Amino acid sequence: MQIVEDRYDNANDQELVEASLKGDKTAFGEIVNRYRKMVARTVKGMLGDTVFAEDIGQEVFIKLYYSLSEFRGEAKLSTYIQRIAVNLTLNEIKRRKRFYSTFSQAGNNEMHEYEIPDSDDEDRKDARELVNRALQGMEPKFRVILTMRMLQGYSTKETAEILNLPLGTVLSRLSRAQEQIRKILEKL
Amino acid sequence: MKHDEIKDLITKALNDDDPATEARRKLEEVISYDFSGSFREKIADRIFSAGVVINREVEFIRSWNNAFMRIALTGVAAIVILVISLYLINGSFSVNSILGLNDSYDESIVCLLTGN
Repeated sequence: MQIVEDRYDNANDQELVEASLKGDKTAFGEIVNRYRKMVARTVKGMLGDTVFAEDIGQEVFIKLYYSLSEFRGEAKLSTYIQRIAVNLTLNEIKRRKRFYSTFSQAGNNEMHEYEIPDSDDEDRKDARELVNRALQGMEPKFRVILTMRMLQGYSTKETAEILNLPLGTVLSRLSRAQEQIRKILEKL
Repeated sequence: MKHDEIKDLITKALNDDDPATEARRKLEEVISYDFSGSFREKIADRIFSAGVVINREVEFIRSWNNAFMRIALTGVAAIVILVISLYLINGSFSVNSILGLNDSYDESIVCLLTGN
């Protein structure tokens, strides 16, 4: 199904939102196209490169579609999508934690499956696996900060805005997260 | 790329507050996260096929609401007619007239209930 056409290539986010609200599938397809990599970095960074991450990625855009009418344009569309992605991913982490604490004796386990496509070259596989291992070894509240910072390239201020946290909290978590990841990287 | 180089990139990407650092760009290039090729199509399928189900549900609820409204209106109309007829027959809205007891005497009710 070809839903993205050239006519929306130069459209800004607000125009795409308005067209999507009028039921234009092409415009929404362009939003997906524009932000899929950004969502992939957040979701896969926090959950690992698994098939579950793909499902959560889809959920992010489905939730976005049904909440577009609530988007007032006060924040950037990318920030709005990022918030949805972070919330859904954190919920998924909690859900898994509950599942594993119910069905597994090792209650703190999360799923550590990295389904990296075979077509990727060795360098990419290695890099992803290393990043995945490093991030999955951290607590979710630190993992989300590192994902925003390391994979998305957001500043501390932007991270605070997306996560709806005070700047001081982000700074202290970032500092602890940096400490944690250094220790993890030493062991890998 | 060796593990140590990637570790170095991760550390550098974390230390700088500037989003456009060389380390971050390089890390992003190496990892390059994305979803599968048919990602957009899967979303479109899920949204627009779900839309059909939602429309059906909305249609069903609307039909129920219409049916309920018709029944309710008929009921209200029947009550109004009953009240008017009661008023016309009895000339008042006393509790006894509403219960149909205004013409009965206590003795006749006792007779009625006891059968004597």
